[in-house]
Amino acid sequence: MIMLLRLTAGLIGWAAAFCLIYALHGLGCAGGWNMVPFAGLSVHRWTLLAAWTGSLLATLVVALILNRRRTTPLDRAAAALGWVGVAATLITFAPIAIVPACA
Amino acid sequence: MSALKRHQDLTAIWGNEPGWRGYLRSVNHSDIGKRFIVAAFVFFAIGGVLAMLIRAQLATPRSAFVGPEVYNQLFTMHGSIMMFLFAIPMFEGLTMYLLPKMLGSRDLAFPRLSSLGWWCYLFGGTIIVLAMLAGVAPDAGWFLYPPLSGKTYTPGINSDVWLLGITFVEISAMCAAIEITVSILKLRAAGMRFDRMPIFAWYLLGTAGMMVFGFPPLILGSILLEVERAFGWPFYSPELGGSPLLWQHLFWLFGHPEVYIIFLPAAGAVSTILPVMARTRLLGYGAIVAAVMALAFLSFGLWVHHMFTTGIPHMALGFFSAASALVAIPTAVQIFAWLGTLWQGRPEMKLPMLYLVGFFIVFVLGGLTGVMLAMVPFDAQAHDTAFVTAHLHYVLVGGFVFPMLAAAYYWLPHITGRERVMRVGEAAFWLIFIGFNLTFFMMHLTGLLGMPRRIDTYPEGMGWTWLNLLSSVGGFLQAFGFALFLIDVVLQIWLGRVHRRNPWGATTLEWAMPIPSTTYNFASLPTVTTRDPLADDPDLGVALARGEGLLAEARHGWRETLAVDMTSGTPEHVAILPGNSWLPIATAAMLGGFFLMMLAGLYALAPVFLVGTVWLGWRWAWTNGTRGDVGMVPIGGGQSLPTSFEAPRTTGWWGSVFALAASATLFASLLFGYAFLWTIAPNWPPPALIPPSLVVPLLAIAGAAAAGIAVRAGRMPIVLGGHLAIVAALILLLTTTPGPSTHAYAATSAALAAYGLFHAGLAAIMTGFVMARAKAGFHSAARATEPRILRLWSDHGAGAGAFIALLLVLPGWFA
Repeated sequence: MIMLLRLTAGLIGWAAAFCLIYALHGLGCAGGWNMVPFAGLSVHRWTLLAAWTGSLLATLVVALILNRRRTTPLDRAAAALGWVGVAATLITFAPIAIVPACA
Repeated sequence: MSALKRHQDLTAIWGNEPGWRGYLRSVNHSDIGKRFIVAAFVFFAIGGVLAMLIRAQLATPRSAFVGPEVYNQLFTMHGSIMMFLFAIPMFEGLTMYLLPKMLGSRDLAFPRLSSLGWWCYLFGGTIIVLAMLAGVAPDAGWFLYPPLSGKTYTPGINSDVWLLGITFVEISAMCAAIEITVSILKLRAAGMRFDRMPIFAWYLLGTAGMMVFGFPPLILGSILLEVERAFGWPFYSPELGGSPLLWQHLFWLFGHPEVYIIFLPAAGAVSTILPVMARTRLLGYGAIVAAVMALAFLSFGLWVHHMFTTGIPHMALGFFSAASALVAIPTAVQIFAWLGTLWQGRPEMKLPMLYLVGFFIVFVLGGLTGVMLAMVPFDAQAHDTAFVTAHLHYVLVGGFVFPMLAAAYYWLPHITGRERVMRVGEAAFWLIFIGFNLTFFMMHLTGLLGMPRRIDTYPEGMGWTWLNLLSSVGGFLQAFGFALFLIDVVLQIWLGRVHRRNPWGATTLEWAMPIPSTTYNFASLPTVTTRDPLADDPDLGVALARGEGLLAEARHGWRETLAVDMTSGTPEHVAILPGNSWLPIATAAMLGGFFLMMLAGLYALAPVFLVGTVWLGWRWAWTNGTRGDVGMVPIGGGQSLPTSFEAPRTTGWWGSVFALAASATLFASLLFGYAFLWTIAPNWPPPALIPPSLVVPLLAIAGAAAAGIAVRAGRMPIVLGGHLAIVAALILLLTTTPGPSTHAYAATSAALAAYGLFHAGLAAIMTGFVMARAKAGFHSAARATEPRILRLWSDHGAGAGAFIALLLVLPGWFA
């Protein structure tokens, strides 16, 4: 079971980030956070940026931990999937930086 | 002991009784797998005939072949049959037949569950097809969007047939998901570490895992829609705080992973067959495992690309568009691994290989149009046109039907024990390949020319006429091809010469047995040291037949197979599997009674069948176990192991873990629905909230705490009391909940309370069962599996019940 968890850890990180950010996006739009300015952006945008950054850091830590052991083919697959988790988190949520939040 | 005597002894244990009794009671994985395959092909043929009727209608403008009412039923039934009654059951059947053989096991982990799944599939599918013959087939599209599928626009039972029939069939999918997951994790050959598993098993592990988490949203959505239709609870009615978009979310949360649930097993077949056809080993085993896992996860982040035109904010569209494009990468990793395998080998253009070439061409084209549709601006243009129909057929036929045809020709000798008689299969291939591309390539063009999907007719002068005619000609060519395929299979069964063992020179364990296979697969179980056991020892099958492997002794009438440690493949215990039984068909019939009562609107009678199902479930569980300690039993090679009666982590325990994971997913989907409606749907806040209460949450939390502590201390009466307290708290809550038909808030609250009631009630029944079993002598210090399983269900029931009680009174407190 530990091996399966190692294999899926990076992607679980991405999935958790997806749930968090998608929920925050919906709640923010419904609650009007995008209309509340803060430090040059909206509270909504800052919240999403914080969640994205936090998710990136979390998946990065997971990837670095998985990267330590690369002896078997499955270890290497787990390490690769750790980096897939980081890349997927980076790419999937890139719209936070460039797209209007609730339009 | 001679090989013949061993065969006779094992056949006496694993075989069926003669005649209909044997047919109805069989739980053998080979029997169940073959039945699934045959039935799925029958449904495929029915769906194919419907497709021909669709193409006949669209062949010419202003066709009067069928009217719009019948046409709506035709395309709805075509889609529903192909997705739910053909594709998934076909892969389930192939998996059930092959998986234990590939893993070096004698059967799947829960043979009676396989059989229950089969009967649910057969009964549910039959209800749906009979409804079509009666002229009341579903007619709101295979995705049954409300409000079209709601009571206002579909007042007849058409939508109910879909909702109840498909949910009935989904029971078989959930059974299969749990069955496959646990079988792969626990029932493997000795020494079969994770990295020695056949690649097919990795694909199936990914697929089954996706089913565990992918199907519950659909099941929930269907239950909610049926409850709305039957009792007027307005989950999807915006005038009362519901939202049709909630259905779309729940449906596609299942529906997009579904595409990969269909594709992955087929890709597993490709990864298994291709190296054999190329006379080499699979290139990039680890990369493919990583790609499968990546697909299994990423495919859950795409569902909104089916909803790009529903007005969702651009940023959310961006998330799903990016994920939709991203998912092409692990798919491409596999494609390149397959091309590399072909490059390093010496491919032979045998018939399975021909179908694999067809797969490559068609699937890659479908994948590329998928990337086009993942881009929001293009999708906005092509949405709901024939272009999308063309894309999905390229993906599903390319990604499933062509590999399945390759698989059919590759594994048919295993099932029939015979070889093909003529080159009919090649002719069938060319008819199917040319016919398919003629049909669906043209649809890309008609779609780009603006032809909408699902229209029953069209005027002249749109530029669609000759393209549609060619599509129809192609469709009939395909039909001839599939007819030839069927003829080829029948000829092989009746006239084919007896085939030698392992005709392809394959290296996986399913070929280490006589063909057609025996009921017990292996006379003795293999120990493997590499990923390609037959490459290292081509005579392994003969050695196993001689009894040179493990568990070679037939004893006590037990159906024995080996359970191993998940990661290392070290033998852990001897799993004693249940024998043939009436229980699966009886349980399926009881469930069928429930669904039929719901369909007939006899709601007062429906609970009677649920009580009957609980009673059968009790009987089912009662037949497990033993009244005395067995101790260690020899397995051969000087080793001894405990039996599953006395092992700490049995397949039953793991099955409960995955069943609860599925239930937790359904619960999470319901919570999503509650939050979604609260934040997104119109006409909120509701007119009345559940009044604030301290009694309800305190009673539920106290009950949960008592159950949680007592179940660990083995104090079963307190566990029972704890769950009954949760039941009381939730019933009290329901008495103060506004009428569920008044607003979506009240409806979702009542649905949440019903979930908590179900699980707390179930845990109470299971506690009673464990108490009765202990009294009857089924438990001892060594035989403690059932209390361990109860702990899982008790904790879930207690946790969910207390959480729901607290969650539902919170809005009243803060109002």
